[in-house]
Amino acid sequence: MTKLFFATDIHGSDICWSKFLNAGKFYEADVLILGGDMTGKAVVPFVHQGGSNYKVTLLEQNFQITNEDEMTDMRKRVRSRGYYPYLTNPDEISELDKDPNRVHEIFKQEVLKVVQQWMDLADKKLDGSDMKVFCSPGNDDMDEVDDIVRSSRRVLLVEGLVTPLDSNHEMIASGWSNRTPWNTEREEDEDQLKVRYEAMISQLKDPKNAVFNIHVPPYKSGLDEAPELDKDLRPVLAGNSMIPVGSKALRAAIEKNQPLLGLHGHIHEGRGTMRIGKTLCINPGSMYEQGTLLGAIVALGKNKIENFVLTSG
Amino acid sequence: MSNLFVRKATGMVRSWSVFDAFIYAFFSINLVTLGFYSFSQMYYFSGGMIPALIISAVFIIFEVVVYASLIAVMPRSGGDYVWQTRIFGGSIGFILSITGWWFTLWLWTPIYGDMLRQIVLTPLLGAFGLQQAAVWIAGQGNALFVCSLLTLVFVAAVIFMGMKTYARIQKYSFYAGMLGLLIVIVLLFTGSPEQFKAGMEANSAAYFGTQAGVHDATAAVGVAAGAGTPLTGGSFFLIMLTLPYLVFFNLWPNWGATLYGEVRGATDYKRNFAGMAWALIATTALGILFFLGVSKTIGWDFYVQANGAWWNYAWGYTTEVPPLPVWPNPAMLAVFLTNNRFVQIVVLLLMSTWWFGWAGTLFLSSTRVIFAAAFDRLLPEKAAELNNNGTPVNAMLYMVVPAILVSALYAYNLLGFRTITLAATQGIAIMYFGTAIAAIVLPYKKKELFEASPIAQMKVAGIPLITVAGVIFGGFLAFLLVEWFFDPWLNPDFAPAGLYGISLANTNSVIFLLVTYGLAAAIYYGFKARRKNEGIDLDKVTAEIPVE
Repeated sequence: MTKLFFATDIHGSDICWSKFLNAGKFYEADVLILGGDMTGKAVVPFVHQGGSNYKVTLLEQNFQITNEDEMTDMRKRVRSRGYYPYLTNPDEISELDKDPNRVHEIFKQEVLKVVQQWMDLADKKLDGSDMKVFCSPGNDDMDEVDDIVRSSRRVLLVEGLVTPLDSNHEMIASGWSNRTPWNTEREEDEDQLKVRYEAMISQLKDPKNAVFNIHVPPYKSGLDEAPELDKDLRPVLAGNSMIPVGSKALRAAIEKNQPLLGLHGHIHEGRGTMRIGKTLCINPGSMYEQGTLLGAIVALGKNKIENFVLTSG
Repeated sequence: MSNLFVRKATGMVRSWSVFDAFIYAFFSINLVTLGFYSFSQMYYFSGGMIPALIISAVFIIFEVVVYASLIAVMPRSGGDYVWQTRIFGGSIGFILSITGWWFTLWLWTPIYGDMLRQIVLTPLLGAFGLQQAAVWIAGQGNALFVCSLLTLVFVAAVIFMGMKTYARIQKYSFYAGMLGLLIVIVLLFTGSPEQFKAGMEANSAAYFGTQAGVHDATAAVGVAAGAGTPLTGGSFFLIMLTLPYLVFFNLWPNWGATLYGEVRGATDYKRNFAGMAWALIATTALGILFFLGVSKTIGWDFYVQANGAWWNYAWGYTTEVPPLPVWPNPAMLAVFLTNNRFVQIVVLLLMSTWWFGWAGTLFLSSTRVIFAAAFDRLLPEKAAELNNNGTPVNAMLYMVVPAILVSALYAYNLLGFRTITLAATQGIAIMYFGTAIAAIVLPYKKKELFEASPIAQMKVAGIPLITVAGVIFGGFLAFLLVEWFFDPWLNPDFAPAGLYGISLANTNSVIFLLVTYGLAAAIYYGFKARRKNEGIDLDKVTAEIPVE
């Protein structure tokens, strides 16, 4: 029996990454799998006001930093929500307001810096252990993330690959999603996703004992319910109207191949489990902003799932 | 100058309209269903209704602060169940939330059914000239049971059609219902007591076959029943005593709050607060306007007496059917001010939308909590199964089957079930109390989480606002619970015996509470033991993973 721990959508949260690395020991798991969307969504400027003073606006609350201890504390607060602190000055901020390309560069620089720190931490923490750690960046993660993950000694990049988990189970993995309203880094049409999935599935020795680690959930699985948005990306009817946004190509692939397990994420509020035929599909959801690592423990037996549970750590 | 740079990433949505949030909160503290219904039952109090409405709203504003704050700190997390579980651990969160959001809702089913017939079916059947059917449907036993079943059919249909469709129905119902209420208020403010008396005599005879002199006869029966609640006045103490009954109506502005999404700053927090708070304020204002209109045309004394006459009979304190053999629905009384039957029917149909736009959410929270518990392996996996249409059939059965049983007990008043109406509010209030305590301790028990939240700087005299609001709201709930459990007026020589009917002296109420909380505890500990045998330690899966 192989016991795996799966978490996803940690979006730049240092706390969640540290918890993820510790989860193997904590839950006595053999394998750690991180679904996509490792990277954060916002950069918070720390605007220099002269001397040791900085002004920071976090979640629309203004903070004045006057010494090194406050600076450390504020950096920690910002990082705990998965945001990136960026030391700057009023002149640079004025320039950035006019130059979206420069903002994009800063984003990339900060995101990749943190991913590198995470890989370094993983290499250090897991050195000497036999824990397997797999990762496949998601639709929000820029391409450059892959190279940094590849450079890690302990974290294996599994995007687009068939990866053996044990002697009975193989895993396919992809962070690509169907189209979203945000035109994110890794998204494509359903027919392209179908090709992507089939390329991996065709290499599986035994699809019925496989794990489909696919970032986007299958369409209409209940794991893909998100608030309906209007053309301005505003939730309609105060968020009461939820619609399925998962992948139809993935749903068809699961229905056809009936793998043992589907591991998904993408929709943070879609936490749950669901059966599509014989396939157990799991979306553990995400509460990364709160530093809570949502996850799933699954015990894989031969031709069956021995047991499973969603976790909130 | 920018103070935050965001990039294109999934889920970066804009804030929703405060008006949309307002509509759903406004429908949750539904003036026409919950309001008219509970106001009518409060015919024997001594505190003024207008000051009671205002004072209760002041306390409930702090409930709004508590919930808006918890959403800001832990959004999209599943509400009371998750908040309590995170702060107190699994058992308390599960037992309080399962009882509050699931089991207690079984008892709401016959209450919704009662409102369906009194607000929708009885007046409309009467307006269409179906006198016998109108009087039958307002009666006891079978009629109430049938209406409870109709309610369940409607709720099941809503679950089947999904919230996407129902949310739109709610929005249309809001506009239709508001138009109906506006007409009712105009009728109340433009009519006179003489017009009303004449209209009631003529129309109640046409609707329900009542005898001449029904107005005065109803008033006399009401007086004999002890009707006497004043519109204004009463000491602060007496006004406070009305609140444990009044909250049946207005304790729910947070009903849809757990749907609220990511809060990215103080502005979003204020939007969520505003949606709920404006709903509370608007409903309170409309309630006062309604009372003043009733007082002007129907006459306050007659309104209270008619209510006393009906409920004294409906609650079984007398077997003599009152002269007006149906609930004195104030909207119906208002349309009696016109003799144009077409206008009457249109207004009654518009007023019916208050029920249809509201009742569909009866089991909305139950579905969520059943799913959350199943995902936590505290219920069978099948509880969260969807059929091919995406309908949660099993969860629906978990709600509907016990609700049919409870509806029968209530409709036929078996085991004194009709006396425990307020237990429907009590069960949820106990759960809210747990959430209020969670709010009070959150900044201290989850310090890092709080300090990285959008409400970290919201303080009163250095104390976090969420703690201050939690103390006030928790204190208010503690007051309600004490009053409910230790009813100050238990003289058995009077009817009703006790102000609220659900005190410790009412063994039916105590048994109901013990059974529901006992069942929740049995499920929790039973499944915990079962999962342990399967190799799953449920304590561990909710414990925080060390960061270092």
